[in-house]
Amino acid sequence: MLQTSKPLHLGFLTVLHESSGYLGGYLVTNTWGRPVEFRLTTTVQPNRVQQVLYGPTLLSFVQGELIGKILVEKSATPVDLIVTERLPVLELRRHVSVPVVWATREQPPIPESYCLVAAAESLRPALYLSSRQRDDLERVREVLAQVDETFDLLEPFGRIREAIAEARKQGVTARG
Amino acid sequence: MGDDIWVENIDIQWSVETLSLAAFDLRWPLSVREARLLQEAPWVRPGGRFHWGISTEGWRFPTVTFDARGAADEAQAHKTVSDDATAPPARPLRRTRPMPAPETVLLKDRLLYLLQPPLENLFAGRQVRVPCRPFPYQLQGIAFLMPRHAALLADEMGLGKTVQTILSLRLLFHAGLVHRALIICPKPLVLNWCRELQSWASDLPFEVISGDTEARRRGWLVSNCPLKVVNYEVVTRDAALVEADQVQFDIVILDEAQRIKNRDSKTAQVVRSIRRSRSWALTGTPIENSPDDLVNIFAFIDPGRIPPDTPTKLLPRYTSDAILRRTKDDVLDDMPPKIVKDALLELTHAQRDSYEMAEKEGVIRLNELGDTITVQHVFELVMRLKQICNFDPATGESAKLERLVADLEEIVASGRKAIVFSQWIQPLERLARELAAFGVVEFHGKIPSSERPGILERFQNDPTIHVILMSYGTGSVGLNLQFANYVFLFDRWWNPAVEDQAINRAHRIGQREPVIVTRFVTQGTIENRIAEVLDTKRQLFDEVLAQNGVPPRLGLNEEEIFGLFDIPNRPKRAA
Repeated sequence: MLQTSKPLHLGFLTVLHESSGYLGGYLVTNTWGRPVEFRLTTTVQPNRVQQVLYGPTLLSFVQGELIGKILVEKSATPVDLIVTERLPVLELRRHVSVPVVWATREQPPIPESYCLVAAAESLRPALYLSSRQRDDLERVREVLAQVDETFDLLEPFGRIREAIAEARKQGVTARG
Repeated sequence: MGDDIWVENIDIQWSVETLSLAAFDLRWPLSVREARLLQEAPWVRPGGRFHWGISTEGWRFPTVTFDARGAADEAQAHKTVSDDATAPPARPLRRTRPMPAPETVLLKDRLLYLLQPPLENLFAGRQVRVPCRPFPYQLQGIAFLMPRHAALLADEMGLGKTVQTILSLRLLFHAGLVHRALIICPKPLVLNWCRELQSWASDLPFEVISGDTEARRRGWLVSNCPLKVVNYEVVTRDAALVEADQVQFDIVILDEAQRIKNRDSKTAQVVRSIRRSRSWALTGTPIENSPDDLVNIFAFIDPGRIPPDTPTKLLPRYTSDAILRRTKDDVLDDMPPKIVKDALLELTHAQRDSYEMAEKEGVIRLNELGDTITVQHVFELVMRLKQICNFDPATGESAKLERLVADLEEIVASGRKAIVFSQWIQPLERLARELAAFGVVEFHGKIPSSERPGILERFQNDPTIHVILMSYGTGSVGLNLQFANYVFLFDRWWNPAVEDQAINRAHRIGQREPVIVTRFVTQGTIENRIAEVLDTKRQLFDEVLAQNGVPPRLGLNEEEIFGLFDIPNRPKRAA
């Protein structure tokens, strides 16, 4: 069961793919979307060898294990649920102890390897888990029950993109 | 001979020896040199690095320092977002977010504002309870105020500056960006602020600094209450306390900021001396008389922003980033109209006789003063004549009263309510007696402050009370009387901005019906002449805050006051 005495936090994790490589942004909010912490990575550009060696697992490795993991581990605020708009980031769940759900407003054909957590409603996108993490289902639903119903779980990703653009203006993403 | 066969034994022996192959079983000891050779071309072709280089950078944001949960839970239990008439109709959520102000330089600060959730989501949710959904333009006002350390919210009266300010302040507290706040307002508005704070920020503890010296000292120096409300008079009186080191605020908000338009007044000096990080000013009339009013308000908002001796036409260059002004025409397409009409009245015979005699004698006396005449002498005559236009001093006859009674009969019969404004208390008291049958309450300077909230409540809720009699000074600012549909200006004020303030007590957010404003003007009198001057100036009022407009003077200046009469002798300074 969730500890209801401590404030609930949500993590919103996305990875942008740009010409210079992959770049991760991670926003931690409270249950009504107020920012608590923000973190971003430098860009990662896989070279040819890495692309060959990782083959079809490259995206899930880069987005989930490499970028996602470091963002969550370096964050000072523990979260109760991680939401991503990037399907490969679901791989992150194998490396962290927090459930990870994929949010989408589209209705693509979903392979059997993903299970539906919550169907899309007026403000909320549909949420999916990796089928391997089916055990997280109840835990995720408990968290969602405490999230303000007007909180559009895809909306924070727009904020993350704006924040990354702002950080880029000041050269942050080029450091490292 | 036979075949002889010899048989000899031949000893053949096979020996099998096994040798192990070093390449499979044994480590191949490489010398440093050999190893280096193997890694060099042509044996190894470099394919690129295998190491993944990545680093992160992060920012944590402030958290709220007061416990808002209890109050929020309580608010949640008692309040829900309503869809009453004051709330805009439900529509798909838009995204209004505070954006960093130009003066916000640090990346962390800019990110904090960029990462704030849309205001629509906040106020539609269950966490930030509000009695009704703010209008879109009010959300834009909040998005304007929140990130700014220096801001002037100059919305036209009636658009809800108080609500926008309270919600902005509340969100700043929630975001942990503000921990100590001070609101300074005119004395009659303290109760109004308290009421609005309870309504729009029930999770925000506040206290009013008032009472005797010891109580005020505790309020300034001892209390840890995050939000304090105080009136201008108390601030001025407590100048010494305000200067204490421990008196400092994250934000100071001035309501009706035109109160500090006189830069050298003690009030303005004390207010400017308060230590603070953010300075917001609220006023619907940032320029009441001259552009200097605006300059002096900015001396509080952001000292040094406007260079000394800046020409008026260059003011927008320095101030426009920090000013937000909307008019009702700009933002409220669906707000009921305000219909202003002048009731041109003929004085009664008795009034006409009294008036002509007073004017004739007055002008003769002014001319007798010769070079010693001052604007004050003229002013006294104007006041005397205006009073006669209200009521004949000898008989008590009043053309305005007759007209008012006729109008009120119709208004009361339809169950409506009306506000009557005058610049003097005496005619209001007289009207109270004359109009008693209509159900009248009085709200002016003679009414003790403690009784005023009860009077307003009675006017709003008592179906037998149809008329409230108000003085411009007491009733023209900050009050919400949108349940009244008729406004009568029994006599005219000197400044159209003040008249607008009065009219907008009724024509404001929440008004559902058209507001009919009747301005009484007696023909062929001083009122008529003043009205002509003021009407000309009112036409210029829209240019007050225009980006490239030259703000006009709105009240009557000395030259114009002298011009009301035919006086050949005038002081040289007025020439």
